[in-house]
Amino acid sequence: MRLINAVAAVLLPVCLFSSTALAGKADDTLNIAFSKELEHVDPYYNTAREGILLGGSVWDALLYRDPKTGDYVGNLATGWTWIDDTTLELTLRQGVTFHNGEPFDADDVVFTLNYVVDPKNGTKSQANTNWIKSAEKVDAFKVRIHTNGPFPAALEYLAGPIIIQPNEYYTKVGQQGVALKPIGTGPYRMDSVEPGKHFVLKRNDAYFAAAKPKAAIGTVDIRTVPDANTQMAELFNGDIDLVWGVPADQADKMAKMGKFQVINAPTMRVGYLSLDAAGRSGAENPMTDLKVRQAVNHAINRQGIVDALMKGTSAVINSACSPVQFGCEQAATTYAYDPEKAKALLAEAGYPQGFAMDFYAYRDRPLAEAMIGMLAEVGITAKLNYMQYSALREKRIKEGTPISFMTWGSNSIADVSAITSAFFRMGGEDDARDPDVAALLEKGDSSVALDERKTAYTKALTTIADKAYWVPLWIYSSNYVMGADVSFTPTPDELIRFYDISWK
Amino acid sequence: MLKFISMKLGLAVLVALTVSFISFILLYMAGDPAVSIAGEGATAEVIAAVREQYGFNRPLLAQYFEWLMRALSGDFGMSYYFKTPVSDMVAARLPVTMTIGALGMGFALVLAIPMGVLAAAFPNSWLDRLALGIAVVGQAIPSFWFGLILIVIFSVNLGLVPASGTRHWTGYILPMIVLGYYATPAIMRLTRAGMLDVLSADYIRTARAKGLNWRSILFKHALRNAIIPVVSLAAVQLGFMFGGSVVVETIFALHGAGFLAWESISRNDLPTMQALILIFSMFYIGFTLLADILNAWLDPRLRSG
Amino acid sequence: MSNIPMTEAATITAPPSPARLLTRKALRHRGFLFGLVVVGFITLVAVFAPFLAPHDPYKQDLLARMARPVFLGGDWKHILGTDALGRDYLSRMLYGARVSLMIGFVAAMISAVIGTTLGILGGYFGGKVDAAVMFIVSVRLALPATLVALAVVALFGGSLTVVVLVLGFLLWDRFAVVMRSATMQVRQMDYIAAAEVLGASLPRILWKDVLPNVMNALIVIITLEMAHAIILEAALSFLGLGVQPPTPSWGLMISEGKEMLLFESWLITIPGIALFILLLAINVLGDGIRDITAPEGRN
Repeated sequence: MRLINAVAAVLLPVCLFSSTALAGKADDTLNIAFSKELEHVDPYYNTAREGILLGGSVWDALLYRDPKTGDYVGNLATGWTWIDDTTLELTLRQGVTFHNGEPFDADDVVFTLNYVVDPKNGTKSQANTNWIKSAEKVDAFKVRIHTNGPFPAALEYLAGPIIIQPNEYYTKVGQQGVALKPIGTGPYRMDSVEPGKHFVLKRNDAYFAAAKPKAAIGTVDIRTVPDANTQMAELFNGDIDLVWGVPADQADKMAKMGKFQVINAPTMRVGYLSLDAAGRSGAENPMTDLKVRQAVNHAINRQGIVDALMKGTSAVINSACSPVQFGCEQAATTYAYDPEKAKALLAEAGYPQGFAMDFYAYRDRPLAEAMIGMLAEVGITAKLNYMQYSALREKRIKEGTPISFMTWGSNSIADVSAITSAFFRMGGEDDARDPDVAALLEKGDSSVALDERKTAYTKALTTIADKAYWVPLWIYSSNYVMGADVSFTPTPDELIRFYDISWK
Repeated sequence: MLKFISMKLGLAVLVALTVSFISFILLYMAGDPAVSIAGEGATAEVIAAVREQYGFNRPLLAQYFEWLMRALSGDFGMSYYFKTPVSDMVAARLPVTMTIGALGMGFALVLAIPMGVLAAAFPNSWLDRLALGIAVVGQAIPSFWFGLILIVIFSVNLGLVPASGTRHWTGYILPMIVLGYYATPAIMRLTRAGMLDVLSADYIRTARAKGLNWRSILFKHALRNAIIPVVSLAAVQLGFMFGGSVVVETIFALHGAGFLAWESISRNDLPTMQALILIFSMFYIGFTLLADILNAWLDPRLRSG
Repeated sequence: MSNIPMTEAATITAPPSPARLLTRKALRHRGFLFGLVVVGFITLVAVFAPFLAPHDPYKQDLLARMARPVFLGGDWKHILGTDALGRDYLSRMLYGARVSLMIGFVAAMISAVIGTTLGILGGYFGGKVDAAVMFIVSVRLALPATLVALAVVALFGGSLTVVVLVLGFLLWDRFAVVMRSATMQVRQMDYIAAAEVLGASLPRILWKDVLPNVMNALIVIITLEMAHAIILEAALSFLGLGVQPPTPSWGLMISEGKEMLLFESWLITIPGIALFILLLAINVLGDGIRDITAPEGRN
């Protein structure tokens, strides 16, 4: 009998003896794991979600969007007005200091904005900042931002990823110095950085706390633990207090154990297949044929995958954007799961026997494999190429890919310009290269009138659906698993505000 | 002796140069680094400018020699991914790899040598069979699977050690066992074979006949002779271990050089990959050289060969 | 990755013993018998996988995911349960045996050809040729095999062919070292000198006289390197840079099952044990062949 128990332990671990009480409440330290090695702590030099989390904790943006009401409130700025279609004037908050004591004023704003838009500096967050033309100092606490054409979504960006760096310090140490010792105004200061590996945040007791509260927990200790299982093993041991993005299967099991809080919350993240309609990965590419793209749309059983593999509040989408975003009309043209129709379409397109092609993905391998299985059912033999995000992105920008399974969290910006425009306005990852769609999106991005924007976006999204440039798949939900004594309420923007977390 | 050392040294340098050339060429084929450096959305002119600026348009050999010269002075360029000097990053990560390598080797020696000696002292006994069993299992057990199973048992079910990381010294225990067990079979077999040879030698028989303490014969006289090849094997194995730490570091999320290598490979971070392949090779070459010299010093007959 | 050429090389000499003696020794060698039976069994299973597999190993069933195996309370429809995509685990294990054996065998053959050629050349000619061979071997040994394999697969993409070729081109060192010393010993034998005196052509001497004499050593190393290639393939696939899904490879299955490591660890235990048994059997078989073909009096 004992032998059977021992065998069972290896086959079906049930966590008989694990303890959870070791968590960080005793020493007021919240232990957290990042899945990804963050390439740079300066939010302008990475495109990772983890970077946005650090950005909101260590730095401040000019505005802040209250996650409960969705309203913009002043943060480093106290007031703002559009002087004309392309000039935004902001009044800045007085009496704010950076963690190193440097006082905050207009010079910091002007320096930061002009620095990030200068291509010489090679910042990676162009998608968030390329609407800015320049910034100009009016007086010590007043600045003007000039935009490249009308850009109504400006406030959303100014409330999100665009954080303000200290100009004197930044000029002195450069981005390499900032990589090791970043300085901001935020509710936490960066206590130590081991690049890509370990970050320790300490509460900024002198925080001005206008829009964001003072941090509740004294220390946030962040380590990079790439493997989701290892993260959970550490959660069992009490070495980690909070894990997010836990796959549905594991979250189910954790919830059943009854020792952890498991919360499923919707996110803005969208999954999609990008099809190489423009033929960048090869002119004979079957994906250049509309019928083939429609066949791919019909071949994927999105609802089946959502029900079986994703669960929670995940849901199927039909447009190339997230339903919570402004302008995201759910398209009229939808493609129901219909393998027979897919086969017929392939035959019409001249591929009665199907064809073979490369399929690229960078996350959610089981989902990718499930889709590959479905493509195989209709005769498309897709060979999976699983790469890291940065490598895949580079490849897509350089030479394109026939099919890529991608996801996009829109940097938590609740506006279609953050996703549809990012991918269909002839940018590096635009696989459609459709000038009509690009023109419509440009119109939507630059119109000031809301209904004008909406009309333009709807038209663009309709074309995208009709031409089947993407297979819009689903919105993700995120599973948060935390120790019993952690108090945290997830928000739909998937941003974990460390300063909002407290102990029970 | 001096001649022997300088000959071996010269050979080692030649091997090192060849290896460096291979690792340079191998990664040179990976594609145009200018595109990666120029970044997303870069125009053709920008890419051309980068190519000019970094000298990617020069002949391959010229680039190789420049890379080599800078590498010799410890400058491996900037990581494409982290935008920090590769040498700083590698220097920060090597200690972890060296620690688990050394611990793993320590574990292997502590397990393998006594077992090998006992197996030889009592051939065909249950001890010998046990030693053989440990060796055969060690050869066949895939280290990544072994590591996972150990995590399940000792970390998750028993909660004895952390599942990952090195914040606490206990975090080194499982990686040490996994990496060490991997090197155990070869060392144990060699110890056993060496001891069997020595024990059949005349002077041992004489010593036994004279009634000398068996244990002191075994561990003092016999082992001293049998250990020579084991030492050199251990040095070579240590070199292999550093290269093989990729798997172990990945499983236990140890941020060492092996893990960095794996991550850099999947991130297309060429300068980091080149540096790491070269450095791991250098370790192997260094340890082999050390083993050769040690052998020659312990056993003068080898010097001529 | 044991590297003990010195001792291995020393055990191979002497012309082969009469067949009957060999058979008698083989039948008394329990390790050899065990290895032979297990490897033979797994080979048969691999060859006849299409007939033995109860289901299509690629057929997904999202409504029957991670069904438990029979011995953990599952039903007989899926004897070893199903994986995270509802594919029959037993069928994937059977097809996975093909992948492992095929990769192991082909990679070992490629390395055997490279290593043996180099080794025999070095051992027969000695001098400068030998020095050159030893230099190439040193360079190869200095390259960290796992890292280079990972890098090459990352560059050229993971496929069965790439993995087999990479492993084949990386694992020939032991062949070269052992073949070299074996050839050196054979070289000194009288009949080689006789053949030379008789004016036999060099390829003929190498092929007809030298190769048969080093054959025993060769077979032993082929088995050991086969195990080595199988374990490396599994490690590469485990790291996601080997055979690509949905091809069933035991290493890949462990990698996929790892997702549920903490809850359904039978998903990694089953392919892990299979891999372990196969490697154990191959190694024991190799050791057995060495013992049996070794001249009397040596162990």
